[in-house]
Amino acid sequence: MKDSAAVDQSNSSRRAAGVVFGLLLPILIVNIIAFVVPVLNLAAMSFRSATAIGSLDEALTLSTWQSLLGDTFYWSILWRTVWMGALITAVTLLLSYPLALFVSRRSGWVKTVLVVACISPLLISAVVRTYGWMVILGNQGFLPALIRASGFTPPRLINNEFGVLVGMTEILMPYMILSLLSGFGRLDPILDQAAETLGARPLTVLRRIVLPLSLPGILLGCLLCFVLAVSSFITPKMLAGGRVSLLATEIYDQAIVTLNWPLAACLSVFILFVFGAALLAYGQLSKIVD
Amino acid sequence: MNDLTRRNALRLAAAGLAMPWVTKAQAQERKITLAAYTGMFEDLYKKTVVEPFMKANPSIKVNYVGMPTSAQNLGTLRAQKASPQVDVCIMDVTVAKAGANESLYKTVTTEQLPVMKQLTPSALIEGAPGPAVTFDMIVLMYAPQKFQDAPTSWKELWNAKHKNRIAIDAPPNLLGLGLTLIANKMAGGGDYRQSVAKGIELLGDLAPLVQTWEPKPDCYAAVTNGAVDLSIGYNARTQISSKQTPDRIAAVIPEQGSVAQINTINLVNGSSQTEAALQFMSYALSQEAQSTFTEAAYYSPTNPNASISADARQRTAATPEKIAKMIDVDWIAVAKIRDAITEQWRRNVISRS
Repeated sequence: MKDSAAVDQSNSSRRAAGVVFGLLLPILIVNIIAFVVPVLNLAAMSFRSATAIGSLDEALTLSTWQSLLGDTFYWSILWRTVWMGALITAVTLLLSYPLALFVSRRSGWVKTVLVVACISPLLISAVVRTYGWMVILGNQGFLPALIRASGFTPPRLINNEFGVLVGMTEILMPYMILSLLSGFGRLDPILDQAAETLGARPLTVLRRIVLPLSLPGILLGCLLCFVLAVSSFITPKMLAGGRVSLLATEIYDQAIVTLNWPLAACLSVFILFVFGAALLAYGQLSKIVD
Repeated sequence: MNDLTRRNALRLAAAGLAMPWVTKAQAQERKITLAAYTGMFEDLYKKTVVEPFMKANPSIKVNYVGMPTSAQNLGTLRAQKASPQVDVCIMDVTVAKAGANESLYKTVTTEQLPVMKQLTPSALIEGAPGPAVTFDMIVLMYAPQKFQDAPTSWKELWNAKHKNRIAIDAPPNLLGLGLTLIANKMAGGGDYRQSVAKGIELLGDLAPLVQTWEPKPDCYAAVTNGAVDLSIGYNARTQISSKQTPDRIAAVIPEQGSVAQINTINLVNGSSQTEAALQFMSYALSQEAQSTFTEAAYYSPTNPNASISADARQRTAATPEKIAKMIDVDWIAVAKIRDAITEQWRRNVISRS
């Protein structure tokens, strides 16, 4: 009797595994075709080289990797990419946190309206929003005109790192706010009230109660924004004015302008390592927070 | 057996009766794909070359695929190398040469394209897979409202009063490369194939005045919408914009001369419609097509038999005085030093802005 029960159980678990596999199969196939194969293709391309006029050499070689790793220019691009990504993430967090906290403390239709207002910029293409910043911050834009009208000479607000920072921060804020709102889910307002009852001042409540409990949301938002900032190409291309070389824009130039596909492939693999490092850091920090 | 024979006979009869329509349908199915520039080029090329060709050859349908740049055009051909979907492509000669090294095109001969015998000798470029279909040149663009007299020298770019009012497309863009060669000549730098150091030094002095090294959406819009007063661009494109908004943008070829830009028309290797593709190429290089396209788009014709009106000729790069000002440039040699020039720009020009 026991044996027959064990056989039944084993059969049913095998059937369940089969169902799970069957359900996973379509997404596995899509992933292999749309992600694994292109990434392997990219890796294979990085072991080829391009001639001076841009045509591809058929032979496999390490020369493209050697020239990439041996050139300080590309290391400086990597550093600038990571630095800009971290700065954009930090500013996005600073601006989004109070907003998200405010929204999370509302209830009913007010909260719904505020959440929709926070994420509604996602309904407009990033290109259009970036053009909006070009109109506001450009040489003849609204803000420089305002500065001029005040009797001052406006500094350059776009076509530099500042322009990229402003544009990217605005574009990434909805993602950060959504992540923070999901993190605030575990924050019970009663805890604030309890702390206040025990005599904690608002800043102490924020530092000792709210911030530690919202750390998972902060970490998730930072990971998301960092990865999006590092891989973003359109906004830096439009707002940097050719002055700020980042990994994503360099990949575009090498692939589309100079036709050096092997170098573009090397840089793409390089950027995957950056993402891998960010994911590892996120994993470690999540463990500490939990 | 008898039944079977009858059935076969009926099938044969039906096939025989349908044959004229099948043949006609096959003849109508001759479809070729042309990959060339998008935007204004596409609009005007379709109107002045593709549509008249299809009208004259009703059995051939031309599908125009717009490509933002020659490099993207080449990228498409690379991706389709195993099974090409494009039959004819129009692209910059340097990019075409890169594709030729990868056997992406079939080199065309005068036997296949007798019209090539009519072309100006400079349209037949050594190492290029196909003949030149348009000539153009780099010009100095300016906002007429901001200048009492049109600038006459490239030195205007170095005038401090234009600080933050200049847009330059930096290398690896071909416009930036062209400006490097012009600056090198202005600085007395000698043969650009040996060194462009003097040109780079001169451009370094220009850098602090430049607002952007990557105007968006492009340098023509930057001048037209008043974001800058001076820029560099291609003559044909500037002339079209200038005709539409003459008070906002104009072009000059400064006294120091300029450099040419060449587009070639190429037959893609593996095209399934070679004959129809050659027929189209022949038309594109003909006197008729070259005339109508030049009248509409102001690219210089490569077929000297093309009849051009005085107004259009004045706007193209083909007038004798403009040709006399051209700086002789071997673009295929320039393509080989493009990376080195780009690197020098990054280190010694853009870093000073």
